[in-house]
This record gives sequence, structure tokens and C-alpha cells, in this order.
Amino acid sequence: MAAAAVWTSSSHAQKPSMPVIGYLCPESPELFGSRLRAFHQGLREAGFVEGHNVAIVYRWASGQYARLPALAGELIARDVDLVVAPGGAPVALAAKAAGVTKTIVFEMGGDPVQLGVVDSLSRPGGNITGVSSLSVDVSPKRLELMQELLPAATTLGVVTNPTSPTAGSQLQRLHAAAETLGVHLKIFSASKAEEFESVFASVARESANALVFTSDPYFAFRSQRLADLAMTYGVPAITQTRDFPLAGGLMSYGGDFMQSHRRAGIYAGRVLKGEKPADLPVQLVTKVEFVINLRTAKLLGREFSPSVVSGADEVVE
Amino acid sequence: MIVRDRFRGLFPKYFLALFLAVALPLAINGAIEAWFGYRDQRARLDQLLGVQATSAAAEIHNFISDIASQLGWLVQLPWTDEADDGRRTDALRLFRQAPAIVSLTLIDNNGLERLHVSRFGLNRIESRTDRSADPALVGAHAGRVWFSDVSYNRGSEPYLTVAIVGNRPAVGAAIAEVNLKLIWDVVSAITVGETGLAFVLDRQGRLIAHPDISLVLRGVEETTSRPFRAIRDAIGPGEGFATSRDAQGRPVAASEAPVAGPDWTVVVAQPLSEAYAPIYAALQRTTVLLAGSTIFAGLLAYAFAHRMTEPIRLLEEGTERIGAGSFEHRISIQTGDEFQRLANSFNRMAGELAVAQQHQERITKLKRFLAPQVADLVDRAGDDSVLDGRRTDVVVVFCDLRGFTAFSAGVAPEDVMSVLSGYYEVLGRVIAQFEATLISFSGDGLMVLVNAPVPVEEPALRAVDLAVEMQKRVQGLITNWRSQGYQVGFGIGLASGPATVGRIGYDDRLDYTAIGSVVNLAARLCASAADREILIDTDTATSVRGKRLIEDLGSRQIKGFDEAIPVFGISHDAL
Repeated sequence: MAAAAVWTSSSHAQKPSMPVIGYLCPESPELFGSRLRAFHQGLREAGFVEGHNVAIVYRWASGQYARLPALAGELIARDVDLVVAPGGAPVALAAKAAGVTKTIVFEMGGDPVQLGVVDSLSRPGGNITGVSSLSVDVSPKRLELMQELLPAATTLGVVTNPTSPTAGSQLQRLHAAAETLGVHLKIFSASKAEEFESVFASVARESANALVFTSDPYFAFRSQRLADLAMTYGVPAITQTRDFPLAGGLMSYGGDFMQSHRRAGIYAGRVLKGEKPADLPVQLVTKVEFVINLRTAKLLGREFSPSVVSGADEVVE
Repeated sequence: MIVRDRFRGLFPKYFLALFLAVALPLAINGAIEAWFGYRDQRARLDQLLGVQATSAAAEIHNFISDIASQLGWLVQLPWTDEADDGRRTDALRLFRQAPAIVSLTLIDNNGLERLHVSRFGLNRIESRTDRSADPALVGAHAGRVWFSDVSYNRGSEPYLTVAIVGNRPAVGAAIAEVNLKLIWDVVSAITVGETGLAFVLDRQGRLIAHPDISLVLRGVEETTSRPFRAIRDAIGPGEGFATSRDAQGRPVAASEAPVAGPDWTVVVAQPLSEAYAPIYAALQRTTVLLAGSTIFAGLLAYAFAHRMTEPIRLLEEGTERIGAGSFEHRISIQTGDEFQRLANSFNRMAGELAVAQQHQERITKLKRFLAPQVADLVDRAGDDSVLDGRRTDVVVVFCDLRGFTAFSAGVAPEDVMSVLSGYYEVLGRVIAQFEATLISFSGDGLMVLVNAPVPVEEPALRAVDLAVEMQKRVQGLITNWRSQGYQVGFGIGLASGPATVGRIGYDDRLDYTAIGSVVNLAARLCASAADREILIDTDTATSVRGKRLIEDLGSRQIKGFDEAIPVFGISHDAL
């Protein structure tokens, strides 16, 4: 097995023509596994298989987003043919800021135009293009869904990551939505895993009845931890990713990350085939999914209305 | 030389005629076949693309009408003034069923918005906003189903608004925003040949569906849509498919079909190289076949022309050689046809010419010593063997003029030659008349042989008659000469007996002669004959006795003979 691995890697080294993708990942391989599989699937659809006709150099930030610029620099030093920056706006921004001269293909939940990553969706401009899962855009929908579950609630907690480049715009939208919906917002901040527990603990102390997580990759990749805490403290919560209700959280509403990572893989393949990033418009995912966990709702003593259940894309029972 | 000659004259004519006879029908046939093949293929392509365009349009239409019919479920129940949570449930269910619908608005019978649900924005329930002037609503009331123009969300994603009203005003209306990006699933599944594709243009000619989604996301841009619009415009209202160029400038064959309702156009385009591949293949086949058959025609024509002209060339060559005298030359043509017959007849002619020439030569030779008719006779026998040496009974006749030596000394040479010429002319005629063989003449003397080389009936009698005729004729001359004062006479001697006869001499200087005592005897008898006298020996006399008047002159001492021998005379006066 080891010999085979050595043999394959050495045989790859003998193919100087094989293009190299630099994969800049904000998390660890364990947390990013499902996204990486989706990316490989897209790459395969575009005709590239790792180790066969493309090599991939991975750089893992393992949750320490501050390391991203340095890791991007390492990829530049490796002179990779293409940098893939998946998993959120911080990655794309770090790659762009590091001065990657080769093409960057991003995958994020935010609005790349608003973040200044691209000029426009149809004409990205420069050497960068990618896919947006629209998760950031739908933060107000999470607030709406939570309010629907708790129609009597007057104050809803909102958790934001102050280090996120989209935090400001999301809060702005949420405040506007809260006004429309007639609820008050209680803002909690968390940028480290250690801060999560205090957020949940304070929900009970403060008068907020539930937690609405803003779209943020750091939150998204820690769904298990958030689900456990929500259960421990008996707090209804909603996040952007399906991982959350699947891990025992109450519900999620956000873009289909499988689709966005897969499309990022397709774009990476098309760039490898020689297409210019400027000719590849930024793609928005077509699917925004709503997943609920009825078991968790029961444990929390809440009940979804029939219309919510019928509108869910996936229901965990 | 022969090769150069070959390209003049008959060979090139035959070659060209035969070549054209084979190659031309082939070429015409090939061209006609290619033309009809091309037309058939074009018709087939036209039909194929037409069917594919229609079926693609049907699929796109299905996509839209599916959404419209899903919306139809929401405009079936009459509105009341109370809020109706059941409608929201229906709306959210519809979201699950129709992923392309981005937002949905339900309007009641008074034109008030009762429900608005969206995938991205906040829902509005019972807002009761007056939407009666909304163009979607107005349009739907006019035609039950209404489609907006395509708009581009954030300048990229094509969106369509569909509005539908129920079968009565009480049920209100439903308005849905549809993300047309999802047509990708439909349009990318449409296959046109191997590499062809289908795309959809809206009323204004903007790209709204294409297997390459990145083009659709820039469909609002003129530069993106222009090449596709060019293909649509190239097709035009006329029948059949059109050829145009795609965005990459590659020629394509395209056909279109309308999508009723939103008033779109579905265009199916196939690279021309692929669409015409069967035509090109057929043309290539035809070309190869034509080239092959042309080479074959050339070889065939060469072979036939060679077969036809080669005998003619052989004939020409042969006749030239025969004409130059090579009668032994034979033209060898084994074609089994007229040429061979002609060659055979040439060969026969050459043979006959050779025979005729030999005959002529022989006659010429024979005529030197044979009377012409005898010579002919010998010649007709076709055999020279009569001239071969043998021993046979002959009659030898000698004659000469008396006193000629004295006469010749006394007169001018011209007179001598004139006398001799008249003398020999007379004798020659007589010799020819009696078919005797002239052996030799010298000065005034002459030797003639009878019964050799050609045997005659009664040689002695003939010799005697010959001698008599000679005497008569020459005496006629002598009378004349004497009147001129020339004192000459003429005597003849003849003898019969066995002698050796045959040709003597060398090369062309061949003479026929007789050797034996009978020759001497005849010569001696001639020598002893006086003017007007014909002396014959006993054997001759015996032979002609009773037939001619013979005078016994008794025995005479003849020079060269030991004993006196009996001599007889013939009186020619008596004849």
C-alpha cells in the first residue's frame, strides 16, 4: 500500500505537464471532507481527476483564518497553476490580497460584488471568478423562519462573527428584517469556538428566546458543536448549513454547499482547459435548502406548523 | 522512336476515344451520384434538424407549461376575506415541486396581494397591496396565462415572470418569478448529433438558455447574444435549415422552432463538418472510385489502343520491308481478327511477289538460251532441274555464212554489223519459232540444240524443218546482199545422237551447252556444207526419211573422223 503510494507519487513527479491546483482551505480535512468530495466531483465532470491528469497542493488553515494569507503565499511560492479558494469570503479575500497572479476560483456564501472580490457577476474582471451559495443573502429568511416558529417571541438572539467580512452587511439586513417582522434583536458575538458556550449560556439570562446564526463559514464548520450546545442549553437555533439539523440542531436555511463546491470544481476544470476567468461569470447556486429536525423540535417542546414542514426540503424525524 | 510515333497518328486517337468512352460515363455518373447524394443528405439534414428543433422547442415549452400548470393549482379556490394558511402551505409545497420558481405572489379577486413567498426575501402575508394595475395581472386577465419579457437578475441570471388567472374571477391570480437558469437541465440534455447543441433566445434575441451556463449568465450583454442572434436571423422565415457561424466562427447548420407562450425561439445548431460528414464521406468515396476507375480506364484504353495500333504498326513496318524487297519478311499478327487476316494476305502477297520475282529472274536467265515460250514452259515447271547435266539424244544444228571472213575484211564495220544484225534477227526468230535452244553464236556461226533441255516431239524432223526455214530466210537475205555486191553464202549442218547437256560457267555467267561427238559431227557437216546446202547425218536422215525429201550425197571424208561417213542433204527448194 505504502509502496503503491510511493510509486504513484513518483510517477506523478515524472509528468511535468500535469497542471497543479493550489487548494487553500480554511478548515481541516476532516471538517471539509464533504465539500472536498463535491469539489472533486465537479473537477471530474470537467475532465480532471486528481493524480491522473491534475495534481492538487492542499493548504489547511484548520480554523485559524489568520493563517490564510501566509498559506496563500505558500501556494504562490509553489507556483501553482490555479488557486481554489473555497469555504467563504475570508479565503477568497486572503488569496486575492496575497497577490495570486494565477486564476483564483472561489466558493463563498457572500455577495462577491459587495465584497469587492469581483466587478460584476457577469463580468468578474481580473483573474478571479467562482460560485456564491447565497447563504449570506438569506440571513433575514432565517430570522423569519425563527419568528414563525416562535410567533410570541419579542426578542431573538443573533450570533455574528465580528471577524467576518460580511458581518456588517448581514447585521444591517437583519435589523431591517426585524423591523418588518416586529421583533427585537439581541446581538451576540463569537469568533472562536471557546466563545460559543458563553453565547448559549447568556441566551437564557438575556430575554432572547432563540438564536439565529449569521452566515459564516466558521459557524458552518462547527455545526456539531453548535448543535450540542443548543441541545444542552435547550435553545432553538437556526444556522446556514444542513450539517446543523443533521447533527441534532433545530433547523437550517442556506445555499446548497454541495452544489456550490461542485460548480467550483467545474470552473477549476474549465480554467485548467484554458478558459479565461473573465469569461466565466460568477455563478449563484440555484438551490437554497431548508432542513428541519422534528426530533429536536420535540425535545425542545416546539412544534413546526404544517406549512413549514411541507415547505422543508428535508425533514429529520 | 516507336513510342514517339505512338503519340502521333492513331494511337492517341484510339487512346483518347477509348479512355473517354470509359472515363466520361463514369465521371458523369459519379458527378450525378454526388449531386443527388448531396441533395438527399441536405434534405435528410433539413428534416433531422427540423425535427430536433421542434422536439427541443417542445421540451422548453414543457418546462414553462409545467410551471404554468403547477401555478394552476393555486388559482382554483375562491378567495374569502379571511386569512388562509392553507394557501401558504400550497405555496411552500409548490416551491419544493418547482425549484425554478424564486418567488410566488397570490392575488385575490379584487386585485389585492394576499400572499407573497420568496426563497430569498421576506414573505408578505395579507399585505393587501393593490396589484390590480400590475402588468402581469393585466396580461393574465387578457390571455389567462401571461409571460413577461426576460429580465436579468443582478445583470446576470435570466428571470421570467409568469402570471396565471383561474377560470373565474373569484379564484384570483398567481404570479411567479422563474429563474430560467434551471432550463439548463433541459437544454444541456438535448443532443443534436455528436457535438451539436440547442439554445434559446427570447423575443429580443437575448440568450436565455445554452448548455454553457456561463454564456447564459452574460446573455444580457450584446456581445454574448449577437452571434446566436446571427444564427437565428440566418435561418429566417424560409423553409429548411441555414448555415451560419457560431461564436467561435465555426460554420454550423441550424434550424429553429418557436416556443409558443413566452414567444421564444429554440435553435438547434450542428457543426457543419459533422452535419455534412456523410456528404463528405460520400464525396470522398466517389472521388476515390472515380480516380480508381479513371486510372483503370486509362490502362484499359492504353491496352486497347495498343492492341489496335500495334498490328497496324506491324503491318506498316512489314509492308515497308516487303516494299524494300525483303520478300522473305513475314508479318506476325496473332489477333485472330481482321488484322491477322490482313497480315496473312500481306504475307501471301509477299510470297507471291517473291515467287514472281524469282520467276522473272529465272525467265531472264533462261531466255538467254531458250526460246521465250520454252523458257516460260521451263519456268512454269517451277524447276531448274531440266537444266541439270544429263545425257540425252539431241539434234545439234550448226550454221554459218560462207565467205563472210573475206566479206568482212572488205567492207566497213558498220556494214558488217548491219549484215550480222539482220542475219541474227532472222535466225533468232526462226529459233524461237521452232522452240530450239540457242547454245552459242560467234561471229557468223551459230549453234542450236533441239530436244534439250526441253524434249520435243520428233526432234529430228523439227531440226530439219528449222534448218530449212533458216536456209529459206537467210537465202532471202543473201539475195539482197548479193544485189549489193556482197559475195556470201549460208550453210547448215546437223546431226542427231546422244550428248551430255547442261549448264556450264560460273555465277551469272552460265550457259547451256552440249558436249559429245554429235556436236563435232554437226559442226563438221556444217563446215563441209556449201552455200544453200543442208547436210545431215545418217541418224537424222533415218528419222526424217519419208517425211522430208532426202538426197543421199554418199560418204564424205569429214575432218576429225577417221572413216568417211555417209552424208545426206535436204533440198529446201523442194519444200
